[in-house]
Amino acid sequence: MADNDIILDVRSISKHFGALKAVDKVSFQARKGEIVGLIGPNGAGKTTITNLVTGELRKTEGEVYFKGINVSRMQPFQIARIGLTRTYQVVKPLQGMTVEENILVGSLFGRSDRQNDLNHAKKTAHEIMELVGLDKKKEFKVSDVTLPDLKRMEFARVLAMDPEVIFLDEVMAGLNPSEVEESMELVKNIRTEKQLTIVYIEHIMKAVMGISDRIIVLHHGQKICEGSPTEVCDNPAVIEAYLGKKYAKEVIKS
Amino acid sequence: MVTQDDNKFNKNIILIIAAVIIFIFLPNFISGYYIRIFTAIFMYATISQCINLMSGYMGYLPFGHVMFFGIGAYMSAILMKLGLPVFIAIPMACLSAIIVSIILGFPVLRLRGHYFAIATIGMNGAIMTVVQNATEITGGARGTTFPIIMASPDVVYRYFYLAMLFLMVITSLVMYVVVNSKFGYGIRSIKANEDAANSMGINTTFTKVTTWAIAALFTSIAGGIYGYWMSFIAPDEVFDLMFITNSIIMMLIGGAGTILGPIFGAFIVETVSEVAWSGFMQYHLAALGIATIVIVFFVPRGVIGTITDKIRNRRIELSKKAEVTNG
Repeated sequence: MADNDIILDVRSISKHFGALKAVDKVSFQARKGEIVGLIGPNGAGKTTITNLVTGELRKTEGEVYFKGINVSRMQPFQIARIGLTRTYQVVKPLQGMTVEENILVGSLFGRSDRQNDLNHAKKTAHEIMELVGLDKKKEFKVSDVTLPDLKRMEFARVLAMDPEVIFLDEVMAGLNPSEVEESMELVKNIRTEKQLTIVYIEHIMKAVMGISDRIIVLHHGQKICEGSPTEVCDNPAVIEAYLGKKYAKEVIKS
Repeated sequence: MVTQDDNKFNKNIILIIAAVIIFIFLPNFISGYYIRIFTAIFMYATISQCINLMSGYMGYLPFGHVMFFGIGAYMSAILMKLGLPVFIAIPMACLSAIIVSIILGFPVLRLRGHYFAIATIGMNGAIMTVVQNATEITGGARGTTFPIIMASPDVVYRYFYLAMLFLMVITSLVMYVVVNSKFGYGIRSIKANEDAANSMGINTTFTKVTTWAIAALFTSIAGGIYGYWMSFIAPDEVFDLMFITNSIIMMLIGGAGTILGPIFGAFIVETVSEVAWSGFMQYHLAALGIATIVIVFFVPRGVIGTITDKIRNRRIELSKKAEVTNG
């Protein structure tokens, strides 16, 4: 792998809450235009990793390099402004604002190295809304739209920031199967259109397997496996983490 | 659609300019008593506008915000006693209030919700105590005086009426520009969700401190003009939390998070207050308290907020209907 292709380089980051090692020396890299799946059972540390990389939590140790810049000690807004951003597992819409305004805030404050005065930002916001199919709901207050639309809006808001790397934290949680399909299509299309690097955190296996180029599996805060979707599925450690030792043995025997 | 909006916008501007012109010439037709009431209304509207920026737009209720009112009044008094003219003294007082707001803002604005409100009350108390005890500079608890203006009271009151009117108009215009700018979206995002705002590239600390400085700026000018108007100020008067309580009630009644809200609120509350004062003095505060509870329960968005909500909902309904008939 050519070194200049690596856009995000996470070097052995840890987060300890007292004696609990929520994340323990996890390293991974993401190349430009790649979709990296980040999976693991509940409490494996997926969201904590997102918080560490985007600067919302202080790291106990380790470093994060983004585009060759050390972002380990930066504030979330500084990291967002150079093009690394995230969505939230529990949606955090800007209450009291309309869908349009939510996305507008993203395009206004996202990347600092491009024109983002009000007029440009409005234009960007409208383009993004059309892209994700929210243009009919733009005047609605966020309290008046459904959960799938909120998730869509959060994705749109992140896109409006014009990032290079996105952490998508369970954008499909709470969606029904047909909405999951739709959402998957959306993510795939936008990846190719915008040349984005996506770190994809998800519980829905079908979605992760279908979408990711590479998958990283976490368990108890540690990385236990990394590889292509099929490799990961066959890995005994992964099966053990998800289904328990006994079942893992049976699977391997058969 | 655009032209229709533009027309509406122009109509509003004409209405506002007309209202300002009427208020400029109003003192010619009313007695000194009403001039005094209107001056107080304009002053309260200004303070309420500042509270509205902090609380209605940014979600930080600065309960002790009256400290900037007091600082404005006291600094103006001290500087004018040194012989500076009012047009230099008040801006300098205002500058000192801004500096205080920035110094206090960095630690205090880290607190959220009630903690922030209580911390500002504490700071107001601390500043008031300093003023009360720095007797050589401030005159201590007995208060201090402004230089007397050599003119008939009638003329003087008109000057203050116009000064407060212009202060209110300028404050409201600045607030309008601020909340509709890029910076304003930052302010509103902080109210909506501070963590999300930060992760979207908004420098929340900078935004919060700057917003507080803007609010302190206009509040301190109001304080300076008020002191000069009263010509005598005492610490327990200009650092009185009732100024803020009243302003908060005005903001709630008029509509938090709207520009016209605080102005309407100031008119409504002061008029009602004035009637209550003259009619049944003891129950005056009880009436205000009950009014606040009723407003918060039944019209949480205030007068202006409720009206704009209705208009917006109707527009959405209409656009839905249009969609149905078209497709």
